[in-house]
Amino acid sequence: MKISFNINGQGQSVDIEDGNTPLLWVVRDILDLKGTKFGCGKAACGACTLHVNNEAVRSCSFPVKFAEGKDIITIEGLGTTENPHPVQQAWTEFVVPQCGYCQPGFMMATAALLNKNKLPTDEDIDNNIINICRCGTYYRMRKAIHRAAEISNSNS
Amino acid sequence: MSETKKKGLSRRKFIKYTGIGVGLILGGCLALNPLRRKLFESLETKLSPYSGDTSPLIWLQVSPENQIILHSSKVEMGQGTFTGLAQLAAEELEIDFDQITVVHAATDTGNIDPFATGGSISVAVLYIPLREMAATIREMLKIRAAEMLAVNASELTIQADCHISGGGKTISFGEIVEGVTEWDIPETPALKDAATFKYIGKPMKRVDLEDKVFGVPIFGMDAAYPDMLYGSVVRSRLVDAKMSNFDVSEAEKMPGVVKIVQENGFVGVVAKSHAQAEMARRKIKFDYTPNQKWNLAEINKAITVGNGKKTVFQKNGKAVADIGAAGEIVKMEFRTPIGAHAQIEPNGAVANYKDGKVELKISTQVVDLTRSEVAKALGIKAEDVNIIPTFLGGGFGRRLHTPNAIQAAIMSRAVGKPIKSFFTRKQEFQNDTFRPPTHHIMQAKIAPSGDILGLEHATASGDTLFNSPLAPSVVAAILRADIGSIRGGSINYDGIPDHRATYYHVDLPFATSFWRSLGLLANTFAIESFMDELALKTNQNPIEMRLKYIKDENPYRVRLKKVIEVCAEKSAYSDTVSAGRAMGFAASIDVGSPCAHVVEVSIVNNQIKIHKVTVAFDCGIAVNPDQVKAQVEGCVCMGISAVLFEKMDLKDNKLYPTIYGPYKMAMMKDTPKEIDVHLIQGVDKPLPVGEPPLGPIGAAIGNAVRRLTGKRLTELPLSLG
Amino acid sequence: MTKSKLISSLLLSFIVLLILGFSNLAEAENKESKQVLEETPFDKVMAVVTHKRCVNCHPAGNAPLQGEDSHLHYFNIQRGPDNQGLAGYTCKTCHTTENNDFSGVPGAPHWGLAPSIMAWQGKTRVEIANQMMNPAKNGGKSPEEILKHLTEDKLVLWAFDPGINSEGIEREKPPIPKEEFIKAVKDWIGNGAVIPNK
Repeated sequence: MKISFNINGQGQSVDIEDGNTPLLWVVRDILDLKGTKFGCGKAACGACTLHVNNEAVRSCSFPVKFAEGKDIITIEGLGTTENPHPVQQAWTEFVVPQCGYCQPGFMMATAALLNKNKLPTDEDIDNNIINICRCGTYYRMRKAIHRAAEISNSNS
Repeated sequence: MSETKKKGLSRRKFIKYTGIGVGLILGGCLALNPLRRKLFESLETKLSPYSGDTSPLIWLQVSPENQIILHSSKVEMGQGTFTGLAQLAAEELEIDFDQITVVHAATDTGNIDPFATGGSISVAVLYIPLREMAATIREMLKIRAAEMLAVNASELTIQADCHISGGGKTISFGEIVEGVTEWDIPETPALKDAATFKYIGKPMKRVDLEDKVFGVPIFGMDAAYPDMLYGSVVRSRLVDAKMSNFDVSEAEKMPGVVKIVQENGFVGVVAKSHAQAEMARRKIKFDYTPNQKWNLAEINKAITVGNGKKTVFQKNGKAVADIGAAGEIVKMEFRTPIGAHAQIEPNGAVANYKDGKVELKISTQVVDLTRSEVAKALGIKAEDVNIIPTFLGGGFGRRLHTPNAIQAAIMSRAVGKPIKSFFTRKQEFQNDTFRPPTHHIMQAKIAPSGDILGLEHATASGDTLFNSPLAPSVVAAILRADIGSIRGGSINYDGIPDHRATYYHVDLPFATSFWRSLGLLANTFAIESFMDELALKTNQNPIEMRLKYIKDENPYRVRLKKVIEVCAEKSAYSDTVSAGRAMGFAASIDVGSPCAHVVEVSIVNNQIKIHKVTVAFDCGIAVNPDQVKAQVEGCVCMGISAVLFEKMDLKDNKLYPTIYGPYKMAMMKDTPKEIDVHLIQGVDKPLPVGEPPLGPIGAAIGNAVRRLTGKRLTELPLSLG
Repeated sequence: MTKSKLISSLLLSFIVLLILGFSNLAEAENKESKQVLEETPFDKVMAVVTHKRCVNCHPAGNAPLQGEDSHLHYFNIQRGPDNQGLAGYTCKTCHTTENNDFSGVPGAPHWGLAPSIMAWQGKTRVEIANQMMNPAKNGGKSPEEILKHLTEDKLVLWAFDPGINSEGIEREKPPIPKEEFIKAVKDWIGNGAVIPNK
């Protein structure tokens, strides 16, 4: 079946036998966007988080057939080195990543939070950011999220 | 060959086994327990030198873009090693830090570490050798530039952007090296003085920061080849059970399947996509023949002090039971559970077998070992296997053995195409090389005056080092005590006249191995919880009591004292409960780096909540103080996760949980509001960083809870029920 | 045996048989009445409604329940102001409109929690039934609308096709099959939605 959607601002079409194939594998292996990660395949760790129509979605548990006609953003589309998203800017300022594998998922989850909550408190961050980081970079992440909100609010 | 080069070779040959190094050479001659104990002590304090090739030309390369490429034989798994190495090289090369790109050395380059990336030693053991190599390259470039520019080498200046100027002219590094095939390697120049350091000791931004913030595909799981297929391998869901009678008839018919490979003792599906390989593998049927029934109760019974092969690895004076003086004997038991690595990137490999050779892109901590194992399994020469290591999505000791490379290589050979093959998360949980469960018995004799007359720690544990392919089997025979499991198990309080530590080694029916800091977390939990209990019993401030029992003669112990004092001061440690909060203190030394924690805790809805952790840590020279702090923060968070939440269970031979969630781990909400890190430079060289800060966290939290609730929690994960 | 003894023993046998027969009949009657008790339309409807597949998303507290043991949903997932999660994640972050065989995440159209006013956790079946039929507590629905909700809403009917979990194991279904449940709802509500005392 043919499935068409926008991804990172560009129209895309994929021809795929099984429409139930998780969007994660279409993004990574067919569209060659490897920033979105596989951590568990059970929507438990959040490493596969991307945006579908501006909402956070765990792509390992999202059939590609449901991407039809939608707007998808992955970490590659969140921002670039020339034009970083406030979250990426803050992540860079605080040198958040260690191994770095979970970080795209966290940045996408954070961006989704900031889309709706412009000035999250510590408690908001605790309640809303529920991905898993094994290296334990949560401490710096919290600081970076506050900074990202600051950058975002000063930009607008 | 120059004199210098000859010297280099003979230095390398002398030290053959890196990880055990000096100690093992001594150990080979030892059979007696007292000498064995001396060996353990020296292994705790001495770092084995780097035993790989330290020829500057295989480490440092001038790129076509006129920058420096540093080929690192150590891998980057988040511990910041790449950044530290870049700082060391930039310092001696006298160029800008951002002129250096660090890459993982493919084995084809010849820069192969015969040991592993682990033990928290990479920057420490390369501190001098890499700086020497960089300084040597600098001199080599100057010598050649002098010839090219027809000036004296002494008139030349290195420019920070990889150029050399002299006599009014400037040439690039690229121009200098162009066309040169043979180099004279000069005497190693003197290294820079610490007073002039531009990069060493500075909080440089991580060299891999940008790639990790912008999602650049740098991990093992991101690697790919054109025309690649996908593999999914059957793995056991039970412990101590044989798999047999494989029925692949249904799997073969699944969409996208190219071939079912049954070779070398495994069964794997090759398909056109990952999703198809996974779904087909689920259809493979087979039988299990358990050797024996296993439940957690049997494991706990086996892991009990008194059971297993016994070694007294520390012995000073009498056993507590034999102390004649009057006093009360206090005894306490502690237990810690099976711990999973749970690193977010699963294990796997991408293999490309072609014309009798194979190239592998893989996240691994053991590049050389993996190459040997793949070569052996395929019946080819090691030189025909090229391992290209990738950035690891978490290591923590999990990838100190990566035989999954063999499966990818065999499947690639079987279908004649490149193969990417990864484990599922369930396979990771059920086939982990776990942190072994432990049991501890602490004993002390207290005089009527409150003096501690004697202290004993006895522990039973599964393997950490033993049965690892990194340790030659002779190690087990010589050492008897698993030096990984006994890390942190010795008693640091040498002011207590009689003190000893005993280890009982137990074989378990599932794999246990290296988990960040090995035995340190569990051993420190037992010893430091018990010391705290003794302080309460004898009405002493727990910190003053520790300091009282650390003698000043040993410089190693002096550094521990300093770290305890700084932590007490910076945390404003108080022994009393205030506004529903209490503080808990603990300290440990691990592989030469002492660390102390004070945690501030309250109880909310019967849950332990950690508000603040103050850490004092002496790792000698902090090559990158920001990244050292990041490692401390990471250890605190990972430690909180392990001591408050994590444990594996075993029922009817099934290890579980098999997914995040039921395998409970710390999240953002469990992270302290403040982690206050104080670095102390106790010696003039860098020491291990990545693991030592884990030690004190379990006991520190338990000690705070003790003051808040009156309950002494003796089992991990800590819970108030 | 004498004729009289024969007659007595025959009579005795007959009486015994009769008694046995009667007792069987009584047992059968009891069984029948028990069966009648278990199988009233109301019984059937409530056997489904009080099953964990339904109660898990009608929790009393601030978090969904999950699993066969109805534990609190992992990862500190919370109800949120509109029963759809929070700002950073919604139910739809992980749950789609159908069950997912790759991940074991359950799914159905408009996946989300029933509002707190429609909480069923910890309540008796009579309490639940009363609450369900009360327009002040059921979102202003008439009995016809409740009937439609229970027999046609895809999220409700998901309980009968709940998919596999992350272990690949099928979730337990309610004790009454779907078609029987639908018929029982129509019977019960069609006949006045009478709620017994217990």
